[in-house]
Amino acid sequence: MSTVAECLVAFVFGSVVGLLVQRSRFCNTAALRDAIMFKTYRNTKALLVAMMILTIGFTAFMTVGAGHPLEFDVGLNTFAGLFLFGIGMVLAGACTVSTWVKAGEGNLGAVWALLFTFVGMFLFSLVWGWNYWPPAPSSMTGEPNLPALQLGFANARTLQDKLGIPAIVFGLVQAGVLLAIYRAILRRERAQQAQHERQRAEAVNGQTA
Amino acid sequence: MEFFRKTLDPVLALAAIAVLDIFLFLVVGAWTVGGGETMMTGLIAEVFLGDELMRIPFWNLVFPPQVDYWKIYISLGMFFGAFVGAVLSKEFYWRMPRHASEWLLITIGGLLMGVGIRLAFVCNVSTFFGLSAEMNLGGYLAISGIFAGAWVGSLIYKRILEA
Repeated sequence: MSTVAECLVAFVFGSVVGLLVQRSRFCNTAALRDAIMFKTYRNTKALLVAMMILTIGFTAFMTVGAGHPLEFDVGLNTFAGLFLFGIGMVLAGACTVSTWVKAGEGNLGAVWALLFTFVGMFLFSLVWGWNYWPPAPSSMTGEPNLPALQLGFANARTLQDKLGIPAIVFGLVQAGVLLAIYRAILRRERAQQAQHERQRAEAVNGQTA
Repeated sequence: MEFFRKTLDPVLALAAIAVLDIFLFLVVGAWTVGGGETMMTGLIAEVFLGDELMRIPFWNLVFPPQVDYWKIYISLGMFFGAFVGAVLSKEFYWRMPRHASEWLLITIGGLLMGVGIRLAFVCNVSTFFGLSAEMNLGGYLAISGIFAGAWVGSLIYKRILEA
């Protein structure tokens, strides 16, 4: 596929995503923050459903060697980077998706968050040249590199190659775990609903007594 | 049109996005945002610094700026799609945080997101909709990191709300 076609496909995909996220008010930040702070799961359930579909879809195609999985070494930097990101997204009240979507709705705070995401990236690029950590993808080997605090590269396909078990099998196991979490959330929501109804009934009884 | 009058169920929206993401995975790669944003940062910096930018090793070795990088167009598409959705549903209007403290939090939050993405090579989208779904070891590291970060961020946010 030509680079122009790639960019065009990406733009169409992004446009549909932007439209669907805008119309559904989905927010990845809320999916984590609301579950942690308020014990509400509107966005968490959507996140889990998407992850189930993607896990089965990606691992099915990876089983036959199709698709373009991400390929780079991971390690301490992966954890540390997302840790900083997690704090940042809660403070900013938006993640990478919702900053673009909110900016499209006319939210200047989201434009400001985007601007400073760019500034943060540029500042990091200045610091990177001091110690070249984490290693550039061109110097990654796929194997553990402990001096650089990197564990190498592994995904469902590498498991298939090493163990001879199709990648989709691992995908189905992961989807099963995600489904169990989803069902646990549904149970919790039902329990919350029942508790609210009990409290409301008690309040009504208290007034009439 | 009903679609622009009522809020869409996020489960339906994300299920549809997931199916489209599988298609994108087959064609170019899974949905991602941080890479496109990094390239935009490089392109913007190039406008100001010109060839001097190449003296910074990161832009020379990791992300040489290029306009025809497909990930940029996912972000621009999201902006465009959201704009169209907001206009057609009459939800587009200029809004901004009212208090200086909100601007400060957004500034710190934005900076942390930018640094975090570059440190990890991934953002929240690749964490949940790319790495984890490909069962990449990095997905589990990233999910642990983002949960821990969101928890710490929520504690800080709670403190600020209560102050």
